[in-house]
Order: sequence, then C-alpha cells, then structure tokens
Amino acid sequence: MSVPIQRIDACRWRIPKEGAMRTEGLVFATKEMIAFLQKEQALEQVRNVATLPGIVGPSIAMPDIHWGYGFPIGGVAAFDPDEGVVSPGGVGYDINCGVRLLRSALPIEEIRPIAKRLADTLFRNVPSGIGSCRKDLKLLVQQERNVLVQGARWAVDHGFGTKEDLLHIEEGGALSGADPELVSDRAMERGRAQLGTLGSGNHFLEVQEVEEIQDPQAAESLGLFKGQMTVTIHTGSRGFGYQVCDDYLHIMQKASRKYGIDLPDRQLCCAPLGSPEGQQYLAAMACAANFAFANRQLITAWVRESFEQVTGRGPEDLRLSVIYDVCHNIAKWERHLVDGQEKRLCIHRKGATRAFPPGHPETPELYRHIGQPVLIPGDMGRYSYVLVGTEKAYHQTFGSTCHGAGRVLSRHAAKRVARGHNIEAELAAKGITIRAAGRATIAEEIPEAYKDVMEVVGVVQQAGIGRIVARLKPVIVIKG
Amino acid sequence: MDTYRFLEHTADMGIEATAASLEGLFVQAARALNEMIFGQELFGGSESLQIDVSGEDLGDLLVRWLTELLYLIETDYFVASRFMIDTLTPYRLQARVAGERLHPDNMHAVREVKAITYHRLDVTSSSRGWRAQVYVDL
Repeated sequence: MSVPIQRIDACRWRIPKEGAMRTEGLVFATKEMIAFLQKEQALEQVRNVATLPGIVGPSIAMPDIHWGYGFPIGGVAAFDPDEGVVSPGGVGYDINCGVRLLRSALPIEEIRPIAKRLADTLFRNVPSGIGSCRKDLKLLVQQERNVLVQGARWAVDHGFGTKEDLLHIEEGGALSGADPELVSDRAMERGRAQLGTLGSGNHFLEVQEVEEIQDPQAAESLGLFKGQMTVTIHTGSRGFGYQVCDDYLHIMQKASRKYGIDLPDRQLCCAPLGSPEGQQYLAAMACAANFAFANRQLITAWVRESFEQVTGRGPEDLRLSVIYDVCHNIAKWERHLVDGQEKRLCIHRKGATRAFPPGHPETPELYRHIGQPVLIPGDMGRYSYVLVGTEKAYHQTFGSTCHGAGRVLSRHAAKRVARGHNIEAELAAKGITIRAAGRATIAEEIPEAYKDVMEVVGVVQQAGIGRIVARLKPVIVIKG
Repeated sequence: MDTYRFLEHTADMGIEATAASLEGLFVQAARALNEMIFGQELFGGSESLQIDVSGEDLGDLLVRWLTELLYLIETDYFVASRFMIDTLTPYRLQARVAGERLHPDNMHAVREVKAITYHRLDVTSSSRGWRAQVYVDL
C-alpha cells in the first residue's frame, strides 16, 4: 500500500498527519527516489516514527533513506525532554557508526606506484572481518571501562594519536554521561576482542584522491587540495554496540508496555526520556558511542603506522591529520529553536549526520567560519563527498543531513549482478585496489548495490541542508 | 520436510524455516544462521555446550536462541553444528549443542551478522507443521 505524500518543492515532500501520527513527515528526495521508496516501506516507517510520544517538529527522512529496523535509515526525529521518548531503534544496532576523514601532505600520484603494497599493509595492520583482532592490543576489564568513559581520549592517552586529533571529532571524541555499570557483561565481553577492528559489510577503510573541489574557500579551510591523498575510515562500535542495542531492546519492550506506549512496530520500543529505562539506555548508549570513537582513533593510529612502514617517511612528512569525525547513528541532547524559542531536545539520528552551521559553538574553532564538516561515503567504485553544515539544516532538520548512499539491491540481487564479472579486475581498471576479508563481501558490495551518492548529496545541496565542498575518489579499498 | 531458505531484503537478510515439529523449526533456523555466516562450510567437533534461554513468546524465544548461537560464534568462536533440544515451551528452551571451536584467525566467514531482530518476526503452526520468519541485521 503506498503512503500518501504531497510534493512541497523540487526535493521536499510532506507525509500528511493522519491516524495515530502526532506530526507530519518531511522527506528530502527526488520524484524518482519517492517512487522507489514507496516499494520498500521506508515511508511507512517515517509515519510510524511520527506516532511516538513527544516528537517535536516533523518525522524527517534524508534522501538516502531506506528501510531499517523500527526507524528508517536516514531518519531524524527530535523529542521533548518531558513528553518525549528515547528508542534504541532510533539509533540502530551499530551505535555511533560514523566516518572519519584524514588529510595528508601527499599527492595521490606518490601513492599509485605503491598502492598494492600499501593495500596489503593496511589490510594486515587494520583488523577486518569476523574473528580478526590486533594481537598487540589486549584489554583488561578495567581498561575497557575506561574506554567506555573516555572514548578517543583513552586511545590518545595510550599513544594512539595526538591531542590535536581530539579537537576535530564530534563531541571531542567522548559523549558525556557514559556509565559502564549500565552495560551487560556480555557487551563487555563482545567488545573486548573487537576494539580496534573495522568490521564487515559496508564498513571500510579507503585511501582516496581529492578528485574535485567545488567550494575552494571551504576546501582551503579544511586543508584539502585537488590531487591530494586522503583516508576515510567508516566503522562503529562493533559487537559492543550491537549487544548494548540488543540488551536495551529487551528492556524497552517491557518499558513500552509499562508506560502504556502504543507501538506500530515492535522494533520502535522506547521509554520516556525521564524514566529510569530511558536514562539508563542513554548512559549505556554513550558507552557504545565512546567505544566507537576509540575504535576509529585506534584505526587512525594503524593507518599512520602503515603509511610510515610503506613510504619510509615520518609523521611530519606524511601529516596524516584528522579533518573531522562524525557520528551517523546516535541520540544526543542538543539545543534547537522551536517556534522561535530555544529548547533542549533529544535528537535521534539514524543514518543521518549532524550538520551544524557556520558560527555554531560546537563546530571546531578552525571550521567555525565555514560550518561543521560532514562526511558522506559513497560506494567502493565511485566517490565520497565532503560537505559543510548550513543555517537551513539547523532550522529545517535539527542541524542534520544525509549519511551515505543507501543500498538499492539486496545482497542476493547484488551477487546476481556480479555473476560473470571479475569485480576486482573491473575496479583495477578504474585505478582502484581492493582487499576484502569476507568471501561474499566484494560481490555483495558492488557499486551497483548502492544509490549513486552524487544524487543524494545533490538533493541535500539543492534543499540547502548541506553544501558540497569536495569529491573524493577511491584508490585503495579495504573491506571486512 | 524440515528446511530453510533466505528471504530477500534490500539492506539485510531474513530466514524462513519450516519443520514438522517446533523443535525441528528451531534447529532449521540455527542451521540457516550458520549458512548465512559461513556459507556451505561443514563443521564437526565434539565439544558440547548447554543452552538455556527464556522468552516472552515463541518469537522472542527464537530471537534469543539465535542470539545465543551468534554470541558463541562471535565471542568463543564456537560453531554449533548439532542441536539436541531437550525442553521447548513458548517461554523456555533448553538444548545441548555440539560443535567446533575455531581459531579466530581461521574463521573464513562469508559475512558478519550484527544481530537478530524482531522485525516481521513470526512463528506459526498449521496442519502442515511449523513456519518461522526472522530477519537479521547485517
């Protein structure tokens, strides 16, 4: 059954409030995207989110929206502190899945001749795929608890990176309010062996070329230039976060009944923000978010190590520094304007990126005149984008924008498309070297399995909820 | 005949299991999870473990059973390949599983499963036997 939807302008659509909906839906998409979305129930999920108690403003969907568990992926929803709820389904299993971008002093032409050796070294030094971990990183329980509170700072304090890295991470690399007492032994156990691992599926590590600069002033502020080598890391909180989500879904199933919350979908289970269950989830979620910040920080250290090993150059020469690190699966307390009044709200971003405007106090000082950097990965064969946040995003989407390309083919369908193709050779012909741990990964992650991310960021730019700065092309791809 | 198949989904994957008995249904779902993670690889091993999980209904119990098996794979690198279900009520499952403990460097997985979800979760019986549907997050 198709969801009733009205066009507002070229790339904004309204889902009218009806039935149990407490607010309307607002979808950023092209006409073609809407036709596809009607087929896969993602719009139904936008409506379901609109039924949750205490939602403020519309239930929002970004142009990379696709079907998720409970909330759609690409969904943004704000909740009132007194009337509203928090839902693990509004964050997702991979808590603080996110993206980190490193710039370098190297032109990509220096990398191409050593690409194979570099790919092998990165693949060896950065654990990826199931069961893989660094033999030189063994965590004791107390150390893991420190990771959960300190996030990226724990890694820096233990020699994995520099204090300067922390200046360019969302929330400084540690969400406050993390309480390891509220995390299960099982989550601790799953996390211990997986800190400093890339994971699998759509997670990746890429060495890229800055292929095109669209906003020279912002690019200069971000330290980006055409032909430069960059590195993107896309991963999250691994088994630790999955377990925290799983544990709290069980708790929230009971809490939803306890607080009399009617749910159109069991995966939307939630609890009032002020309830013990809601508070406990936020404190456990913060632990997982901090685990993910530490994870990306450790991987950054091993990326630097790999470049030093292969090029024989030191850190001063390579200058692999963090441009920014964003979360795209998170729930956070933020201040936003509602009907002209500033209000504290709990913003759920599930497959959506914070995109604060120029001048916002939470944007690092270095970037305050251009807006917060936003990192949008694409597929392994085409490109990724760097954007900055805008005023319009702040006012229309609670300072949020898209997060990636979004799948369009199931894994089975992707394998059908891949059959008869030598994907590695086809990528090599485009100048891309790939290494993958999982036996099905390359076929299931073919570029055709994803929307063209250029279309996604095109909608974002046209709607004014993000401004494109640069396009990055993959040169080395490491997948789990 | 007791069997299973995978369900198509854009972002993730589902399992549909069918069996003559409820016990058989839970065994088929477990085998499907193994194939999803390891492909057609065959596992042996004689190490035996006890599993005891509780749920609020049969669907919840199925999610918790598969979650337990996933936890053993991910944390202990233990792949259960034989399943002997001793007790199965809508609220509790007790089973003995036998399998193989792999070396973490030697998992050779096809793909990683993050979690077993409640989305479109369904366990039903009819005159032809039992059917279950469960989706996983990849």
